[in-house]
Amino acid sequence: MAELSLQHIDKIYDNNVQAVFDFNLDVKDGELIVLVGPSGCGKSTTLRMVAGLEDISNGKLLLDGKDITQTPAKDRDMAMVFQSYALYGHMTIYENMAFSLTLRKENPNVIHKKVLAAAEILGLTSQLNKKPAQLSGGQRQRVAMGRSIVRSPKVFLFDEPLSNLDAKLRGATRREILLLHKRLQATMLYVTHDQTEALTLADRIVCMSMGHVQQVGTPLELYDHPDNVFVASFIGLPPMNFYDVKVVGDTLQGNGFKVSLTAEEKAQLAGYEGKEITLGVRPENFIEGDDIKVSVTNNENLGMNTLVYGSLGSTGVKVTAKIKGWKNYKVGDTAGFSVARKHFFDKETTKAIRGGK
Amino acid sequence: MSKLSAEELYIKKDRMRYVKNSACSNLCYLAILFNVFYFVTIYRQDVGNYYYTIQIGASVVYNLIFMLAVFLASEGVKNYGKNYSIVLLIAGVMQIVRIFVIPMGALKATTFVNGEDVAVMGNGTFIKCLVYLGVTAVCLLGSSALNFIRCNQLEAHVKSLEQNKA
Repeated sequence: MAELSLQHIDKIYDNNVQAVFDFNLDVKDGELIVLVGPSGCGKSTTLRMVAGLEDISNGKLLLDGKDITQTPAKDRDMAMVFQSYALYGHMTIYENMAFSLTLRKENPNVIHKKVLAAAEILGLTSQLNKKPAQLSGGQRQRVAMGRSIVRSPKVFLFDEPLSNLDAKLRGATRREILLLHKRLQATMLYVTHDQTEALTLADRIVCMSMGHVQQVGTPLELYDHPDNVFVASFIGLPPMNFYDVKVVGDTLQGNGFKVSLTAEEKAQLAGYEGKEITLGVRPENFIEGDDIKVSVTNNENLGMNTLVYGSLGSTGVKVTAKIKGWKNYKVGDTAGFSVARKHFFDKETTKAIRGGK
Repeated sequence: MSKLSAEELYIKKDRMRYVKNSACSNLCYLAILFNVFYFVTIYRQDVGNYYYTIQIGASVVYNLIFMLAVFLASEGVKNYGKNYSIVLLIAGVMQIVRIFVIPMGALKATTFVNGEDVAVMGNGTFIKCLVYLGVTAVCLLGSSALNFIRCNQLEAHVKSLEQNKA
């Protein structure tokens, strides 16, 4: 397998639109990196630059220390799995999987061994004589993955491979990709706009917005210690609540509520006394309590949890809380919550306030 | 040609489960092509009224049936249909028989063109027809034999796989 290094990569299109700005990333051997971000953030463009399907405007791309910035796509030894599967409808699954090796004029016996091995891994052995049209979406996506596996590439690239699947199949195929990664121990770059996929699959996540890398880290780092408001809002479902608050002594005071600070949090906010900051609270960090009063506008029971939507008193400031257990708030009820965990962001820079850290 | 190892032989047989029998079907296409060469050669001859008999009518109908049957058989052998070997065998033998009908008959015959008696078919044309029909027959018989052998191999292989599984 392989180590991949993206150094100061820019993508500027002919019409001078810049899609990617100074992208830096070192992918370790066998690592699964997920590029996540909203549509148009440059994640697919980055992946296509790695694959060689887009030119790199500035910067260097190294594979195992070798500069492949100008190397044509076919010589990069990378395999890409697309959202649309890109299977040949007139060929059987076996022929689809064998196709790239047949083009390379590999020994038919070697091709056969590789195709059967890949089919075994992906549970497609009984489907090999079928045509793609006879398979379900999930199976087709597995065929697309199989086509990549038989090539034994140095790097696997996935461009939103699960987007065409329904929710149930997406979950199942996601687990299969994870098992595949564990089994092959392959270096993988995976693009998605779905933060659930990112959190469940990634060894490390690259969160992007507007062509800029916002944060690189493990799923837990991005969830627990987001670098800025964007990452905090993008990672986590339902998204984090944000409030403009003022640091007043041992409390944070905002429009419609007042919460107290622990000694640790106060230390973290040293230098912000009297200033306005952005307070972030994840819905799951609300617990039933008395610190803030929420006028309930909607109550959704999810089984183990209840999503409570509301506003802070009469201020109209929105609150989304995920409370443990089955609750039955009625519209117009007043619910009392406390905040178990707070995230602080500089109001001007939107960056996380980490105190002395 | 180097001898195949036991493993290579096994894989070669196993591949037949997934790879189409294109060698046999290609031989069928080749047979159809050479049959076209044959009847074009025959029908383009200026032979006066020699061909205006029931024989040439039957020849035209036979060519159509031949091409249809061989094309269908080509699709059959592609998927290792063992019975199509019989169709191809019959068609191949018939091509050999045909050598003794029109080309041979036409070689010996004369016809009346522009007030003269002329030979219906020259030696050159006869040899061409002979080659075309011969190649067609070889292709068909070869395809038939190869398909039969491969089908037997595949059957035995699948049987052994099933036995191993059981």
